[in-house]
Amino acid sequence: METLNFLATGFAVALAPMNLMLVLVGCFMGTLIGSLPGIGPINGVAILLPLAYAMGFPPESALILLAGVYYGAEYGGRISSILLNVPGDAGAIMTTLDGYPMSKRGEGGRALALSAVSSFAGSMGALLMMVASAPLLSQFAIQFGPTEYVWLMVFAFTCLATMVGSRPVKTMVGVMIGLLLATVGVDSGTGVLRFTLGIPNFFDGVDFLVVVIGLFAISEVLALLEQWARKDLVITPVGKSFVSLADLLAVKWVVLRSTVIGFLIGVLPGTGASIASAVAYGTEKRIAEGDDDQFGKGDIRGLAAPEAANNASAAGSMVPMLTLGIPGSGTTAILLGALMMFNITPGPLLFEQQPQIAWGLIASMFIGNIALLVMNLPMIGLFVRLLSIRQAYLVPVIVMLTFVGIYSIHGDSFDLFFMVLLGVFGFLLRKLHFSLAPVILGLVLGEVLEENLRRALSISGGDWGILFNGPMAYTLAVATAAALLAPSLWRWYKKSAKNGVKPGASLADSGD
Amino acid sequence: MYDRIFAGALLLLSGLVAWAALSLDVPFQYEPLGPKAFPVILAVLLAIAALWLMYRPSRNDWHPNAAILAKLAGGLCLMVLYAVLFESAGFILATFVVGSLFSWLFGERPLRAAGYALVMSLGSYFLLKDLLQLNVPAGVLVGG
Repeated sequence: METLNFLATGFAVALAPMNLMLVLVGCFMGTLIGSLPGIGPINGVAILLPLAYAMGFPPESALILLAGVYYGAEYGGRISSILLNVPGDAGAIMTTLDGYPMSKRGEGGRALALSAVSSFAGSMGALLMMVASAPLLSQFAIQFGPTEYVWLMVFAFTCLATMVGSRPVKTMVGVMIGLLLATVGVDSGTGVLRFTLGIPNFFDGVDFLVVVIGLFAISEVLALLEQWARKDLVITPVGKSFVSLADLLAVKWVVLRSTVIGFLIGVLPGTGASIASAVAYGTEKRIAEGDDDQFGKGDIRGLAAPEAANNASAAGSMVPMLTLGIPGSGTTAILLGALMMFNITPGPLLFEQQPQIAWGLIASMFIGNIALLVMNLPMIGLFVRLLSIRQAYLVPVIVMLTFVGIYSIHGDSFDLFFMVLLGVFGFLLRKLHFSLAPVILGLVLGEVLEENLRRALSISGGDWGILFNGPMAYTLAVATAAALLAPSLWRWYKKSAKNGVKPGASLADSGD
Repeated sequence: MYDRIFAGALLLLSGLVAWAALSLDVPFQYEPLGPKAFPVILAVLLAIAALWLMYRPSRNDWHPNAAILAKLAGGLCLMVLYAVLFESAGFILATFVVGSLFSWLFGERPLRAAGYALVMSLGSYFLLKDLLQLNVPAGVLVGG
């Protein structure tokens, strides 16, 4: 009952005229950004974050807008997957497998509508699970001390390293770079300046926004430039077909299972939509065994599963961000950084001390999802037309928005140069198959990790044994070890099983 | 190959970080760990990862040809130019120049690129400055 009261508070925030408008704007822009090939949710949120900050929104409004862009982009990602066979973002890779064959045989409209409904069901289901679990988790997390937080972050990084990216060692390098970037600037404990190279702009630390925009948006521009040489993409026509009730009934259990899978994987720190959709697809394929010859050729189950899962994981990854202050995906790491810029530290106390932010966000997600379903069924033609926007017109706008956004923070050209430099660095990292999300996760969590580690050792008077003190710390340590070993055990298990079914394609560089 | 070079740079970086952290001058400190320990731990972990990467690098699959490299360098120069011009020449002029060059770089015909960039820079200037009230440098054209 208490939860319902809080939810009512949340809806009061989310239905305030300005916030309502921001939800709609965010969802619309998110769908737009997600549907443009190459510009996924993480870039969309990154480009809009400095603008939202500079426009002086209150924190809950800024968060509502950015979150709208995030899950809106998860909706939009499927459009280019289905019609162009080019995933709009990493989470939509699995959608191409069955979505594109459907549109090739003239069922584009059916595929788009079915995936919109699956996305909606996935998000709504995950939101309900979020409402049920977030307050419980935050109640539990209130008992966490500095030791538990240190372990929690180590656990998050371990999950990230073993599950995301091309190789664990590369993810670890990314995390270390992020953590090191976080140590730049004045040390809060002693006032000593660290690694500033004598540049005054670094005394306050490396600006989070400059790093995010540089690494993601600027490197994306370079990547677009590199890919541009390829031939123009052909959009398959949408056609007049539409989803039927029989289709929906046929996939209801698929959607339900994929929603649960997506939500759980989303909650797991560091793992986002690309893994969720791959696991859901693999699971459905295995369940359908014997009847799975249509998978990959346009099976509606193969389309519904990844779409429900990637939207569910977007909601799921908000749970650890809000309750623990540990982001569940790259994009939520940016949202977390955004909250920190507003001097709000997400964590177990957020739900009690600032219910308007936590519950306002949750309520806005309910509204946003309904709006997205409405936008995505009748207005689909508009988004489809946008797919044909030429990059000659798109890229100048992206570049302009990043420069305006960064300049408006401090009004200092130094940030622009530093941003471009980071963009080159980000581009090189991508080319060498380092994923960028770990860098951001490290940057966001670096200060908190160091602070908690130092606090823990202050409590123990310098004895590192405190890290293995108490049942919770032990549990988390064991969980970390499990996360570290699980992939190798899984591989060993798969090798020994005879008819090993491959769970989807390889999870290469994921940007979500 | 690139992996090894990059790992070498990382190794160098970790050494520099460790050295810089250890030579920090900390006048007073109330807690046992202080500002040095955390960066040193990170540097050690980074060094281990870099050594591992050097020992077992991934196969390189990035083979840009000269045309692509030229395009990338062009894009990079444009962004640096934008950063130089942004404040000194003002938003409208800088966006017009860089926007048309970018549009041209992505295959638009020169005249149409310039026309598009002109509309974009003027339109977005008033949109950003007056409607969104952002801090946009006016520069020489508006008499900044």
